[in-house]
Amino acid sequence: MSDDRPAVTITLDGVDVQVESGQALIEAAQKAGTYIPRFCYHPRLKAAGVCRACLVEVEGPRGTALVPSCTTPVGDGMVVHTKSDTAKKAQEGVLEFLLVNHPLDCPVCDKGGECPLQDQAFAFGAGETRYVEEKRHYEKPIPISDLILMDRERCILCSRCTRFSDEISGDPLIDFKDRGNYVQVITFPDEPFASYFSGNTVQICPVGALTAKPYRFKARPWDIEAVESVSLVDAVHSKISVQTSHNEIIRLYGVDNDATNHGWLSDKDRFVNDHVHSEDRITTPLIKEDGEFREATWAEAISLTAERLGSFDGPKVAGVGGARSTNEDAYSFAKFLRSVVGTPHLDAQLGDGLDPSFAAAVTPRAEINDLESAKTILLWGPDLKEELPVLYLRVRRAVTELGANLVIVHPRRTGLDDVAAHTIRYKPGTGPDVLRKLAAGDGEYAEARSALGFGPVVALVGRTGLAENPDLAEAVAAFSLELPDAKVLPLLRRGNVFGALDMGVAPTLLPGRVSVDDAAGRTALEEHWGSVADGPGLDTGGILEGLAAGDLDALVLNGADPVRDFPLPSTAVAGLDAAQFIVAFEMFMSDSAAYADVILPVAGLGEIEGTATNIEGRIQKINQIIPSAGMSRPVWSIFEDLALALGAEHGAASAGAISEEIAAVAPAYGGIAWDQLSWGAGRDGIVLPGPDGAQPLEHAPSDKGVPATSGHRVLHTARVLYDDGVMVRHSSGIAGLASQGAAHLHPRDASVLAVTEGDEVEIRGDGEVRLPVVIDPSLAEGTVYVPFNLARTAGLGAAAEVRLDAVRGGDA
Amino acid sequence: MTTSILLDRMVAHPSDSHTLARYVDTGGYETLKKALNSMKPEEITAEVKASNIRGRGGASFPTGVKWGFLPPDTRPRYLVVNGDESEPGTFKDRMLLERDPHQLVEGIIISAYALDVHHAFVYIRGEYPKPARRLQRAIDEAYEAGYLGGDILGSGFDLDVTVHLGGGAYICGEETALLSSLEGRRGEPRIKPPFPAVEGLYAKPTIVNNVETISNIPWIVANGGAKYAAIGPETSSGTRVMSLSGHVKNPGDYEVVAGLSWKELIYDIGGGIRDDNKLKAWVPGGASAPWFVPDEHLNTPVTIDDIAKNGSMIGSGAVIVMDETTNVVGAAHRLVRFFSHESCGQCTPCREGTTWLERILARILDGYGRPEDIGLLLDVCDNISPGLAWPPAMTTICPLGPSATAPVVSMMKYFRDEVEAMVSPPPSGGDVAGGDRGGEVQFEAGGTSNV
Amino acid sequence: MISHWSHDSQVKANELLETYPEKRSAVMPLLYIAALEHGHVTEDAMREVAELTGLTAAQVQAVASFYTMYKREPVGKYLVSVCTSISCYLRGADDVLAAIEDEAGILDGETTPDGKISVEHVECSGACGGAPAVSVNWELVEGVEPDKARELIKWLREADPEVVFGDEMQLLFGGQQSFDWGSKETEGAIAPLPAFGPYGTVKEESR
Repeated sequence: MSDDRPAVTITLDGVDVQVESGQALIEAAQKAGTYIPRFCYHPRLKAAGVCRACLVEVEGPRGTALVPSCTTPVGDGMVVHTKSDTAKKAQEGVLEFLLVNHPLDCPVCDKGGECPLQDQAFAFGAGETRYVEEKRHYEKPIPISDLILMDRERCILCSRCTRFSDEISGDPLIDFKDRGNYVQVITFPDEPFASYFSGNTVQICPVGALTAKPYRFKARPWDIEAVESVSLVDAVHSKISVQTSHNEIIRLYGVDNDATNHGWLSDKDRFVNDHVHSEDRITTPLIKEDGEFREATWAEAISLTAERLGSFDGPKVAGVGGARSTNEDAYSFAKFLRSVVGTPHLDAQLGDGLDPSFAAAVTPRAEINDLESAKTILLWGPDLKEELPVLYLRVRRAVTELGANLVIVHPRRTGLDDVAAHTIRYKPGTGPDVLRKLAAGDGEYAEARSALGFGPVVALVGRTGLAENPDLAEAVAAFSLELPDAKVLPLLRRGNVFGALDMGVAPTLLPGRVSVDDAAGRTALEEHWGSVADGPGLDTGGILEGLAAGDLDALVLNGADPVRDFPLPSTAVAGLDAAQFIVAFEMFMSDSAAYADVILPVAGLGEIEGTATNIEGRIQKINQIIPSAGMSRPVWSIFEDLALALGAEHGAASAGAISEEIAAVAPAYGGIAWDQLSWGAGRDGIVLPGPDGAQPLEHAPSDKGVPATSGHRVLHTARVLYDDGVMVRHSSGIAGLASQGAAHLHPRDASVLAVTEGDEVEIRGDGEVRLPVVIDPSLAEGTVYVPFNLARTAGLGAAAEVRLDAVRGGDA
Repeated sequence: MTTSILLDRMVAHPSDSHTLARYVDTGGYETLKKALNSMKPEEITAEVKASNIRGRGGASFPTGVKWGFLPPDTRPRYLVVNGDESEPGTFKDRMLLERDPHQLVEGIIISAYALDVHHAFVYIRGEYPKPARRLQRAIDEAYEAGYLGGDILGSGFDLDVTVHLGGGAYICGEETALLSSLEGRRGEPRIKPPFPAVEGLYAKPTIVNNVETISNIPWIVANGGAKYAAIGPETSSGTRVMSLSGHVKNPGDYEVVAGLSWKELIYDIGGGIRDDNKLKAWVPGGASAPWFVPDEHLNTPVTIDDIAKNGSMIGSGAVIVMDETTNVVGAAHRLVRFFSHESCGQCTPCREGTTWLERILARILDGYGRPEDIGLLLDVCDNISPGLAWPPAMTTICPLGPSATAPVVSMMKYFRDEVEAMVSPPPSGGDVAGGDRGGEVQFEAGGTSNV
Repeated sequence: MISHWSHDSQVKANELLETYPEKRSAVMPLLYIAALEHGHVTEDAMREVAELTGLTAAQVQAVASFYTMYKREPVGKYLVSVCTSISCYLRGADDVLAAIEDEAGILDGETTPDGKISVEHVECSGACGGAPAVSVNWELVEGVEPDKARELIKWLREADPEVVFGDEMQLLFGGQQSFDWGSKETEGAIAPLPAFGPYGTVKEESR
């Protein structure tokens, strides 16, 4: 909360205390050390005042009155009694009312042991009930989605879940039904609570009414150990509590954090926990012999890998990946390749990202919290609901709660369109033209352009899809920075991609956002590393092509799956196929790992510690709570062994030690101390300062656009939250939520092809797929939208142009 | 009685008092012309303030004061006329809507002009299709005659009026619940503040007034607020339509000037008790109001303040009379059942408490009462309405919950011995008195006389 | 989306959506129209209202289920609503309800097998001066005694009126009125829904 609110004095149970004016009494009292009972109140939701548990007495001109402390703002001179006889009687009366219809199934309730109702009944309740009538009865828990169950008997109708879905996530698929004594929270028949954010309602349910299928009956709260960490599911790095029982991660909770997630998580953040314990996980080093993998010892695997990597010329080796894990892991990766192997060819992005210098060092760079004070938000980038869902929540809040004007530019309807003031939809490939017109305020864009004239402006800039020219984003950013009081937040999605770029896992960057062309920077780095391979190197596309062409020989795949993630899968397959040696650092047998000669099992969520850098450049701590599975190890320690085997020595004995080295070596990370991130204000992370002065941006995007030749259509392809990636596939809670994928067509294109919803079309781009048709009027004519990397769409790739043919009957 | 403001036309012209022709013929819309041609909006609000008229919906809040709460600069503003008349015992707005809808329409136009409102809504309970039809036809006639729509009578003032039918929910008579309902939501009351005058319909400044209140506006503006204020006692100015029902000989709507005694109202106007039975108790202001009994209240005056002084309220002006044959537990149960059924369910004490009270009373009527139920009933009431006083303290969001306690507390206050008799174990294995839940079996009051 | 609604209902729905400053306000009126089109407030009816107003079906259900007049189960051609609140109770409404249940051969809350008559008790109908009160398709009859109530049910069965007029029923089966009703009302109800022109639930007298 802000510090600029004046302090007022209230008398709280006879004691004068200074509190911040304007805040709710329940908050002010809590900060002053007085906890008032509550069920419906939640600091991140609008106060509803419905449970009445927080009634207190406030003295007024006409005597004292009972008021709900959650909806009553404090005022100077307010005299409050939270424990007077009247207040206590009211609070206890409410508690009794809540209990009269509450079932006594606490022993088999997931909430038992961490239930506010149970706790308050224990603390204040009468020993026995005065209620001799029949309790309300409902069918015991009914599934309201694939993830969530609802027990209406336990529900105390606090409306936290319904308010969350309506106010925060904007998908009110659960609501009250019926009236009075019969009120219940429920979905509409056959319309499940299929929200990307449904798990939050379980976390904030004050009783055991809403439970999550993946957690049900898994553990008792008193057996749980927990540690704070951040989610690496996407680049927002939401704060989480990793909760374990008997060395198993049994659930992830959101941790309230002003800076990033406000306590919320996407269901993907929340329900990925069990991929760590998947039976399919690789927990032993594997060596391929005669086309088959066999288990090996670490000693054998390390020595083989070192020997093979050492057998090639340094610059013939390349590295791809490094964005799934910690900064320390990424740093070790970069150092190993550039200094020990001696190659400049390394890239944390998979051809699906942005120019590394732009992404890592655009300035002024926005923090997520800049959304809170933004007058105007420009979103020209991915559909946030699909790719950065917690950022979607923050933008939505900025618009619906704080009144910002949102302008969205995207090829089709996005999750935020409903709250946007202006939406501009365009045909992929015409982005540069749209940008020129928007900048000039031409015709149809005049209103949007004038909306952008009101600062502060926060521009959220990234690629709208994988087929889009990445240069466009830079041009959009350049335009945005000319808007009043503007800042840019570059949008990349993958877990710790910003950390990896900052650690120099990029063809054009050295650790600490130093350009490879920066002679002084290079010299400084050489003092630490000894030698640094000459750059710039090849990016992932260049690496894959180089392997295919025989210009490169070996590849280190560090948690990357180019076959699935690189926009042109045929290029990925050709490259991997041609490589003489591939070592893959992996948790699972991905499509790409299958090409490897050696697979080294790595530690994952809850098993590693280190730091990570999010979309804003915020560095936060990742903490370990369980030992790593089987023989899997942290990435940094594997590079340590490989370096040693190659006669070099990194000399780091722990992630903490590497972190110290980063602070010394990487200019932008100077002075960030490991311990700072665990205590006090540092628990919310520390935002790295941007570079001095403006960064030159390329203004005019090259028109590598798309020629609209007859018979072809422009492809728009982008990721959706639940895809067919290894993490989702091996997280049992959400694995089934990924759709199969379809081809979305403009109605006129559908009619030209003489297909309707549900018919099949064959699409030929980089690869070929057959997909059912979905009609999508939000697309520009001549565009086909295909979600990237789903069971049916994988393999199509992201070639900008595709050929479409209807599949005629009998073929199905 | 001698003064009639609202009912003259319908009494004199039963066949067509609802038509535009008759309304105009009897001086209708002249006040509107006067207001639009020669009065500034603030002059009208000044007259309304001077009239001291207090809201006829139940809360008796001074209308002029309410109008004064509108923030000066926020637009649009809305006027919402509350025709959700659902308080048991009340049927006056129904009559005003059916029999003299133009009087209301003229009141709406004048009020809207005074308040700078350009869209007014009349929320009529869904069970009142006939009143809604009559009003809609009056509105249609008014549009056609140029009293509604754009540039009304050449004044430059625009106004649209929309009739909105409820869906069957008493709680929508509570003004914030009404606004929620009008917005297409569940009729759940909102936490006040903010009050509707500041943040009402679509979060815009909104005045919510009762049908009868607005029906008085033409007369007030035509005759001046001072003249209205001079009718009746100072704090109960003007006339009021009171609905008499229950065990009176002549139930009906009567326009009265405050200050007469209950005896006059019940015996002279209402014609006394059916079959000349003894009066046992009456509800002075709609189902929510605590009861009055003859010994204490028959000779007290019918004014807002006197009723309040005696621990009840005039409410919507609905008088429900109960004679000596009434089973008080049956009557209380019927009233509590109503509130339990009509509870919106959002706040805990009302949702759980009213239903609990209803279950206990039903159990007593079924013959399974326990002596401890008396204390339990009162304590449950106390947890809804701490202190059991009137006007009630509330643990609830709105007064519906406390309203449910009124009959229980009244019953215990005046007829506790009757309740005790019903919850006592039978003396020697005999039958429990009052074995049926409903009113079919008359329960003889055990040995007490109340009159 | 609402193509299978009658033209008249579609026109009325569009008018209602235009009438209010915010579309959501049209939910309740549209639910009446949807009930007229679908026979009662079916799941499809709620889905269509959701589509028209931009709400989720769950939100429409939340509204529809809050109010007692949106019947989410099939209801008879004649919905007979017996007021049993305090004033009617004091004047014998429970006996009227019992007589109606007996005559119709069904209990409170049920519909006759032939789909003709549904019986329900309702809270206060605003006819306290004419207690006990009964309404048929929300057209009111006041001062109904148990015998007359039986006759009312018989008449509904036998006369089987397509349009229900309050004045007609009052004349045949009513008694004490809350007030002088004045002249005859020209419009009546064509369905167990409040008969109101803007919702298309009404028919003009053709007697």
